[in-house]
Amino acid sequence: MAKTTKMAFLVQRLGYKSENPKLALTHAIASQTVDIYLEDGDAVVPVVAFVGEGVLNCKNNQKAMETYGITSTENHLQNALLCDLKILVCKEDLARFGVAEADMPDASAMGADTTVQVVPWETIHAELKGADHLLFF
Amino acid sequence: MAMKGQENSTLDVLGRVCPYPLVLTKKALEKLGSGQVIKVKCDAPASAEESIPKFCEKQGYTCEVEKVGDGAWDIYIKKA
Repeated sequence: MAKTTKMAFLVQRLGYKSENPKLALTHAIASQTVDIYLEDGDAVVPVVAFVGEGVLNCKNNQKAMETYGITSTENHLQNALLCDLKILVCKEDLARFGVAEADMPDASAMGADTTVQVVPWETIHAELKGADHLLFF
Repeated sequence: MAMKGQENSTLDVLGRVCPYPLVLTKKALEKLGSGQVIKVKCDAPASAEESIPKFCEKQGYTCEVEKVGDGAWDIYIKKA
């Protein structure tokens, strides 16, 4: 009997000199590789959701490399999109912080087939409720 | 290297570390037709020697790995 394990990665904060948001994305991407160690037919399906202050991680044109000499969360987000990861951003929280939906990172230039999805909290909540494992960042 | 020169497409993941080579290889294979061959250029040792061949074995895909230089591999995968 094939089993699908749903993992939800919830990003609620900015990095504040930590790797937190990047770790959420890296772990979510890495979770797509574990099926080589699972039983035939078993799968892990990740979703990454940015809520609260965490939505500020999703602003485009980040200058981490120019300012600090490190890769940006935006860059990690683009790589996640390139890997077809489901990325959800809370619509209400974006509005609360005055960030336009048009300011979301995009990876189409890298060849990504998917984009960041700005959705109501209700949609994110449904994803979290349906998850087998919930990880907070 | 029976599949060398038979590739229908090439995926360049040079410079990318785990887990990207495997994830991007899986994605590229999804777009490939049955019987087609993809060449993956990779310089991540664990991906080239372990995870990508293991994934192919599990999926029933034919996989040939050729070391082409110091720390670089060409991986030929035929989709079943």
